[in-house]
Amino acid sequence: MSDLVIVTGASRGLGLALCRQLLAAQYRVLALSRSETDETKQLKQEYPAFEFVTVDLADLSQLPALCAEWIKRLGRPYALINNAAVGYDGVLATMHNSEISSVLTLNIEAPILLCKYLLRPMLLNQRGRIINISSIIARTGFNGLSVYAASKAALEGFSKSLAREVGKAGITVNCVAPGYMQTEMTSSLQGDKLDSIKRRSPLGRLATPDDAAAAVLFLLSEQASAVTGTTLTVDAGSTA
Amino acid sequence: MELHSHIRQTLQQVAVLANCQLIEPITDDTVLLESGLDSLGFAMLVAQLEEELGMDPFSEMQIAVYPRTLGEFIAIYQQAADQTAG
Repeated sequence: MSDLVIVTGASRGLGLALCRQLLAAQYRVLALSRSETDETKQLKQEYPAFEFVTVDLADLSQLPALCAEWIKRLGRPYALINNAAVGYDGVLATMHNSEISSVLTLNIEAPILLCKYLLRPMLLNQRGRIINISSIIARTGFNGLSVYAASKAALEGFSKSLAREVGKAGITVNCVAPGYMQTEMTSSLQGDKLDSIKRRSPLGRLATPDDAAAAVLFLLSEQASAVTGTTLTVDAGSTA
Repeated sequence: MELHSHIRQTLQQVAVLANCQLIEPITDDTVLLESGLDSLGFAMLVAQLEEELGMDPFSEMQIAVYPRTLGEFIAIYQQAADQTAG
């Protein structure tokens, strides 16, 4: 049986591109998201190796039981890709506290708990991959995205330490940091801002979700077995 | 008693997997930190027991509990098993 990869935030954007590439590369995919889309419904029809589960990852208390159920039903996963995230655009001084809290819950607490429960079977297998999707904003900063940036920087710090913790069990932990991509998440960034990012990038374009997904596929591969504790930036050179 | 021997047996298996050398003899009074199994090995023991017994009593507890000896570790599983059965 082919290796199982669990992907969060799988219904659109990078998560969806990732599912498509994983299925094309013969992985089994457990896709998690709050809502199903036409695209995920279509993947389900096309690929028997694709399973979609509706789940609200911000409901942290249900995660241990859910992980146990997935492992029991589908076997020990080879990899976890923490891609689900939320970002509210707005200055901190007027951001509602509930929004700050929900960014931290979904972007950092949920990935940490998923890592905790899904790396256990990887420990028993003595092999596995954890890939956390960060953002160039973790290091560059961006006006109006301070809490989002904090969550992504936290994810990178977390990944480095976890890489040290589980390396001897044959598990690698890395981040992929995409730059600005044309997805629904960045739809508020259209117009002049986006054009200026494109113009300034060495490659004269934005990275696409497929570009970032390809970096994830590399980190999953056997060829990346000596890569751990690092962040792979895919931003068409924006931060060069 | 069955659970007791199951955990003792799993400890031995996991020690091999984790490449750790357990001290001899291992008794219920053995302090876990001195047993020879490292912290990642303990994580593997909890993971293996969760797969085999279908429970992780530590996650189900409301507060963080760290047993000191193997006997205390086993007692936590026994208590969880009794609660499930009861």
